[in-house]
Amino acid sequence: MSVGFIGAGQLACALARGFTAAGILSAHKIMASSPEMDLPTVSALRKMGVNLTRSNKETVRHSDVLFLAVKPHIIPFILDEIGADVQARHIVVSCAAGVTISSVEKAFMALDALADGGVKMGLPRRLAVRLGAQALLGAAKMLLDSEQHPSQLKDNVCSPGGATIHALHFLERGGFRSLLINAVEASCVRTRELQSMADQEKISPAALKKTLLDRVKLESPTVSTLAPFSPGKLLTRSSVPGGKKD
Amino acid sequence: ALGCQTTHSNQEVLQSCSLVIFATKPHVLPAVLAEVAPVVTAEHILVSVAAGVSLSVLEELLPPNAQVLRVSPNLPCVVQEGAMVMARGRHARSSETKLLQDLLEACGWCEEVPEAYMDVHTGLSGSGVAFVCVFSEALAEGAIKMGMPSGLAHRIAAQTLLGTAKMLLQEGQHPAQLRTDVCTPAGTTIHGLHALEQGGLRAATMSAVEAATCRAKELSRK
Repeated sequence: MSVGFIGAGQLACALARGFTAAGILSAHKIMASSPEMDLPTVSALRKMGVNLTRSNKETVRHSDVLFLAVKPHIIPFILDEIGADVQARHIVVSCAAGVTISSVEKAFMALDALADGGVKMGLPRRLAVRLGAQALLGAAKMLLDSEQHPSQLKDNVCSPGGATIHALHFLERGGFRSLLINAVEASCVRTRELQSMADQEKISPAALKKTLLDRVKLESPTVSTLAPFSPGKLLTRSSVPGGKKD
Repeated sequence: ALGCQTTHSNQEVLQSCSLVIFATKPHVLPAVLAEVAPVVTAEHILVSVAAGVSLSVLEELLPPNAQVLRVSPNLPCVVQEGAMVMARGRHARSSETKLLQDLLEACGWCEEVPEAYMDVHTGLSGSGVAFVCVFSEALAEGAIKMGMPSGLAHRIAAQTLLGTAKMLLQEGQHPAQLRTDVCTPAGTTIHGLHALEQGGLRAATMSAVEAATCRAKELSRK
C-alpha cells in the first residue's frame, strides 16, 4: 500500500511519522507534495525517507491512500487540479484542519500554563510537564469512557473545602469557561472567513493557490509556519520557520 | 390570629411545653436561657434558631443533661418551602431529634448535619434567598430591556426559577445535565449562557456564598 500527502506541513509530518514509527508503512512508500520545499516540515519528511515532489498529480498517481493535508480553504483548488486524476482505486482522506488542530494547540497552551504553576510551586519543569500531560490524558480518557456529564466528573473530584474547589474558584474568576468558548468561536469564524475568501476568487487554480497562501501569510504572519512537531517537546508559535523550543 | 396562646412569662412556656423553640435575637438569648434554666428538665427538647450561637454555648448556659438542638431555617419556611439544617447537642436523643425533624418538615425540607455545616448553610441558603432575588430581578430587567412589561417579566422570572428548581429536585439530575439538555446547538440558550459566562456569574456566586459563610463564622465567634 502506498500513501500520499497533498501538503507537506504539520499534519503530513505527524501522520507520516506515526505511520513509520508504528511500522505500518515504510517511508519510501510515502510521497508528499508541496509548492514550497523550504519548510522545516519538508526537511523532516525528507529525513524520514519520504518522497517529495512539487507535483500534486505525481502524488496522486503514486498513492493508494491520499491525504489532503492542506488548509481548508485550499482544498477546493486541490480538488480542481487533481480531480481528474483520482480513480476508483483511490481512498481520498480530507483532513479539515479547523477546530481539531486548534484544540490541540489550546491543549498545549493549557499544559504549558499548568506546568508553569507547578514550577512556581517548586517542581522541576520536566516533572511538571509530565504530571500535567498525564493529568490531561487521564481526564480525557475518563471522560471518553464515562456516561457521566463532565460536570459530574468534576464534582467527583472536588471534595468539600478541598484544594480542587479552591483552584476552581480561581478558574471561574478568570472567566476560564468563556475564554474557551470565545477561542473556539474565533477559530470557527476565522475558518469560515478564509473559506469564503477562497470561494470569491476567480483566477486560475494554480495562481490562486499561491495568491491565497501569500495573502494568508500576510494577514496572519504566525499562521502556516510552525516548527515541526515532535513528541515530548513543547511548541511555541513563531513567525520564523524552525521556532524556538520552550 | 393563628390560635396560639401567648404569655409574658418565659418560664411558663417551659412549664407548659416539652418542645421549646428559642426564637429571640442572638444577643438576647443568653439572658433568656439564664432566666429559664431553673425550670429546665432532662425531658425538655430545647431548640435554638439563633444564628451563630453554638451548641456548646447553649449547653453551658443550661443545666447539664439538657437536650439542646440548633436549627438553621430560611425565609421560605413561611410558604412551607424552607431549606433547613439542624444539629444536635451532646444529650439530645435520637427519638427527640427525629421528632424535631418531623415537625420542621411541615415547613419544608430539613436534614440533620454536623454543626460545622451550619454556617455554610447560612451562606448558601439563608443569604441565598437574597442572591436568588437579585438573579430574579436581573432576569426580569433583561426582559424589560427587550420590551416586556415589568409586572409580567417579574412574574415569569420567578416562575422560571420555581419550575427549574422543581425539575432539579424531582429528577435529581446534576444541574449541568439539565443545562446541557436545554442548549440546542447554535440556539438561543447557548448564546445567552456565553454572555453569562463572560460576565463571570459563576465566580461571583461562589464568592457570594463564601463571603456570607465567612461572615457567619465571624459573627459566631463574637
